[in-house]
Amino acid sequence: MATSTETRFSLDGVGRVSLAVAFVAIQGLAFVGAYAVGRPTWYAFFMIGSTAVTAYFLRGDTFVVAAATMGSILMVALGLPLFMFVARQQPSIVVEKALSSDVHRMLYLGVYGPLLAAIVSLAFGVPLAHLFSEGFTGQQLVESLVDLPLVVPHSVAGILILFGFGKGGAFPNVTVLGSMIGMVLAMTFVSAPYAVNATREAFESIDDRLEYASRIHGASRWDTFRRVTAPLAIRGMVTGGVLAWARAVSEFGAVAVVAYSVSFFYPPAGGEVTTQHAPVFVYGTYLQGGLAESGAVAFILLGVSALVFLFIRYLTSDSTTTGGVV
Amino acid sequence: MSLHADLTATFTAEGAQSFRIDAEIEVERGESLVILGPSGSGKTLFLETVAGFHSHDGPVTLSGQRMDDTPPEKRDFGFVFQDYALFPHMTVRENVDFGSRYHDDTRDADALLTELGVGKLADRYPPTLSGGEQQRVALARALAVRPEVMLLDEPLAALDVPTRQSLRDDLADVLADATAVYVTHNRTTARALADRIAVMNDGQVVQSGTPEAVFHRPNSPMVARFTGSNVIDLEDAPSIRSVLDVPGDDVVALRPEAVGFGPEGDVRATVERVVREDATNRVTFAVDDVAIDAFADEAPAVGEEAWLTLSDDGAHVCRPPAASSV
Repeated sequence: MATSTETRFSLDGVGRVSLAVAFVAIQGLAFVGAYAVGRPTWYAFFMIGSTAVTAYFLRGDTFVVAAATMGSILMVALGLPLFMFVARQQPSIVVEKALSSDVHRMLYLGVYGPLLAAIVSLAFGVPLAHLFSEGFTGQQLVESLVDLPLVVPHSVAGILILFGFGKGGAFPNVTVLGSMIGMVLAMTFVSAPYAVNATREAFESIDDRLEYASRIHGASRWDTFRRVTAPLAIRGMVTGGVLAWARAVSEFGAVAVVAYSVSFFYPPAGGEVTTQHAPVFVYGTYLQGGLAESGAVAFILLGVSALVFLFIRYLTSDSTTTGGVV
Repeated sequence: MSLHADLTATFTAEGAQSFRIDAEIEVERGESLVILGPSGSGKTLFLETVAGFHSHDGPVTLSGQRMDDTPPEKRDFGFVFQDYALFPHMTVRENVDFGSRYHDDTRDADALLTELGVGKLADRYPPTLSGGEQQRVALARALAVRPEVMLLDEPLAALDVPTRQSLRDDLADVLADATAVYVTHNRTTARALADRIAVMNDGQVVQSGTPEAVFHRPNSPMVARFTGSNVIDLEDAPSIRSVLDVPGDDVVALRPEAVGFGPEGDVRATVERVVREDATNRVTFAVDDVAIDAFADEAPAVGEEAWLTLSDDGAHVCRPPAASSV
């Protein structure tokens, strides 16, 4: 059995990286070639076939080849639209949109609003996640409530928020309909479960004995959390925050219902401006300007999201969070 | 500084039967009490409960002061864990210094590390150390706060034999004047370190006394077996009954050191198995329906016949006949 799980060609770390780079480069060239001759379908088959062949040469195990082939079909479904989307952009429209102040405002709100939602999700989700990791009576009920937004259609979530906090709701003095508060609330509603669950997993992976060791040598519960638990769970918290942020960026349904367009302070303008949350803005552009225009806006949004994501991944990589030891 | 604990505590793990601890220990100032027991006997849970990590009924007193409701950080204990429980995100020095901000009178981390032979590791992170090194650091962390009582939970269990022996020697020096409770399943360690031993089984202390008393006068077959004695039901071994000066069909504990053999003796036996143990051999003889262990520098051949000499001094009735029917 052992032989079947070993690589047929032994590869060190550098070899693996260069192989991966070569694989991606070949995929890119193949796509460009297929697209240039107007036959993107060929590329789909090439991707599946090349994955199978690579798996065969690396492992030579029919099970691995079958698994890689099946997986590559899913990759075609996920990746091909993305490649086609990028390839079919019209540069002139992308540049025009990239220079539009409406798009700048949308991007600002699209990063800033979700950031507020992620902060709120973490601020109140981390304590809850810690309680979950320790366990308490009735925990399953609370867990179900936290996970509810994962199964509720998001337009329904928006309706729930309007019933709870809108006109005639629990806080009559707070306006949620069409306000920044409403938008952040809608985003928090759908993104908090990600923050709570990721953080909770981080807490659960910490050995109880580390907290015992902290307590017995003098640290109170607060100090134990501050000096031991939180530093060890920081990556989980950041992951939870990033997931919550990303979920909030992509939120359409709840935001469209609660706060279709919002006014907020926009520093470059030095005052209040009104715009829509990014997915709502893209949808609005699609309805008014068609596929080409909305595609260009979506392209810019995608690029900004990817940059923010990569930046946060860099900040939370092993070497930057724990001195490279855990 | 004496420690007295008379606890009951019930632990319920998900999907398992609840486990109850009901045990009392008394440790005088400067004394090392070893809690000896098989895996699953509850000795670690008991120690953790004494430390204040789990809720319990019944008093824990330190020098006559009740501390049942005192949180772990106020109990003035040092704790050494089986799996070290060093903080992975802190250097060795920071680990040892951890408790300094909570205690007025602490020991210098570098001096302590040097004393324990790991002074050069002060700037390293725990995950980069060997098991033996980590345990020395963990010992330093516990000693640094000058605790009234040291609690040690199988600190040698995860170490290889040479490391274990060298650390055991150091522990013997450290514990010579300290008040300590030391949990182990290893009778050699128990004998080497204990001023007194409490044998724990199924959540209860079944015998306590000096090592001499526990090893030579076990009060039950379980204690006898666990401390390495031969346990002989005289009903099954009439030829031994006729030699030992013990009335009736008692169950007798017989130290293997008290069993001699040669061409002449009292009881005829057959060599069943020989196992090499460090500097000696453990020889198992078959006598009637029972197996009897003895030590021998020179190993006899398996199947060979021999005569055993049994010393009355090494035999102890560990279960009277009345109890045998239970």
